[in-house]
Amino acid sequence: MKRNYDGCAICNSTWGNVWAEVEGERLFFCCDLCVVQYRGLIERIKQETGWARIDAIEIAGDRRGRTCAVTSGEARETFAFAFNPEGHVLRFGREPPAPAGAG
Amino acid sequence: MTKCPACLVGFGKGDFPALAQHLVGRADESDSDHVRWLNQNLTRRKTESETLVPTLRGFFDVGPAPLTAWVKKRFIFKFFGKVPHPFVAALQHPTRATLLGYVVEHQHFLRQWVRSCANIMARTDRQEVVEYELDNLTTEYAGFGVDRPSHYELLLRMGESLGVDRSRVLASPPLPATRRAIEQWNEMATREHWVAVLTAMHSLELIANRNLVDEGASVHYFDPSILSGNEITPAAQGFLREGYEADVDHSDRALALASRFARELDVLEDVQSVFLRSIDLFDDYLIARLERAGQFEA
Repeated sequence: MKRNYDGCAICNSTWGNVWAEVEGERLFFCCDLCVVQYRGLIERIKQETGWARIDAIEIAGDRRGRTCAVTSGEARETFAFAFNPEGHVLRFGREPPAPAGAG
Repeated sequence: MTKCPACLVGFGKGDFPALAQHLVGRADESDSDHVRWLNQNLTRRKTESETLVPTLRGFFDVGPAPLTAWVKKRFIFKFFGKVPHPFVAALQHPTRATLLGYVVEHQHFLRQWVRSCANIMARTDRQEVVEYELDNLTTEYAGFGVDRPSHYELLLRMGESLGVDRSRVLASPPLPATRRAIEQWNEMATREHWVAVLTAMHSLELIANRNLVDEGASVHYFDPSILSGNEITPAAQGFLREGYEADVDHSDRALALASRFARELDVLEDVQSVFLRSIDLFDDYLIARLERAGQFEA
């Protein structure tokens, strides 16, 4: 899966040293909480889209609220999401597409 | 004493190299509280402890201003920044579910409040602190007779006005984040210096301090327009109005006492770290209110 982060798969932090396998890939995370978050996020995306495979994920934002743009083949979706303090998905929903010309 | 703002372990006074080494060491072990603190307050990029020392010094530097100014700056950054805390955003024009999430989790917070403030009173030797705490606890928990019910009673009435009986509210156990916060506030109250506990607890009343907008907060705790009209129930207006009117004085008076005694008793660094830990717990606790609100959504 193509990702925009070079650090922790969910928050891009380079602190910590946790490696976990998600969707057949060995990924770096800063802490166990981020592993729970990432796994929950991927599961919700697949549940919502019905996709068998996610090709790319681009995450933006911070703990106050994040968005992710995901693609699978030609299909593309954008979601907004947030987690509870235990790392479980608290909010998850489709983001309206950005207006034409928005930078 | 310098303390770790993530776990409150202590180091020598002003020993920022030891604190930096500890933070980096715990982060290397992937401890989520330490990684979180570094991520949210200093940097998301892994840094050598020597490089972190001046950053830490700068972060904790109060400068010539009273401690109050530093506390408010940190509090505003965390809860009232460009993107306010999600609970604050939800409370601007709250749904029934948001208010009920508030009721169910906050009853636990207020019961801990009494324990924390009682510990401050038990351990201080300053009469003005005892008087302040007695006044605060009367407003928050005991009330001034039938004409001026306590904040706790007003909270339960808000729940009833939204169709949830107080017996159901009182029978609800706290969510995990609320429970964790309460346990840590309780431990803090018994272990830490009373000036640190005073600051850690009463700084949380800044959340409803309407004057923070003049000091850089992006929004109020809620849109003041909801205190009139019929957007929320009269009982909800009564509860929110009480905090809106009391918490400027509660937080400002407590922080003035904290600023004075932190320097007088030479415990400034203890106070800063315990405050920082407390606002992290509060952040999670406010999310728990939203999580509880989800259970009331249709």
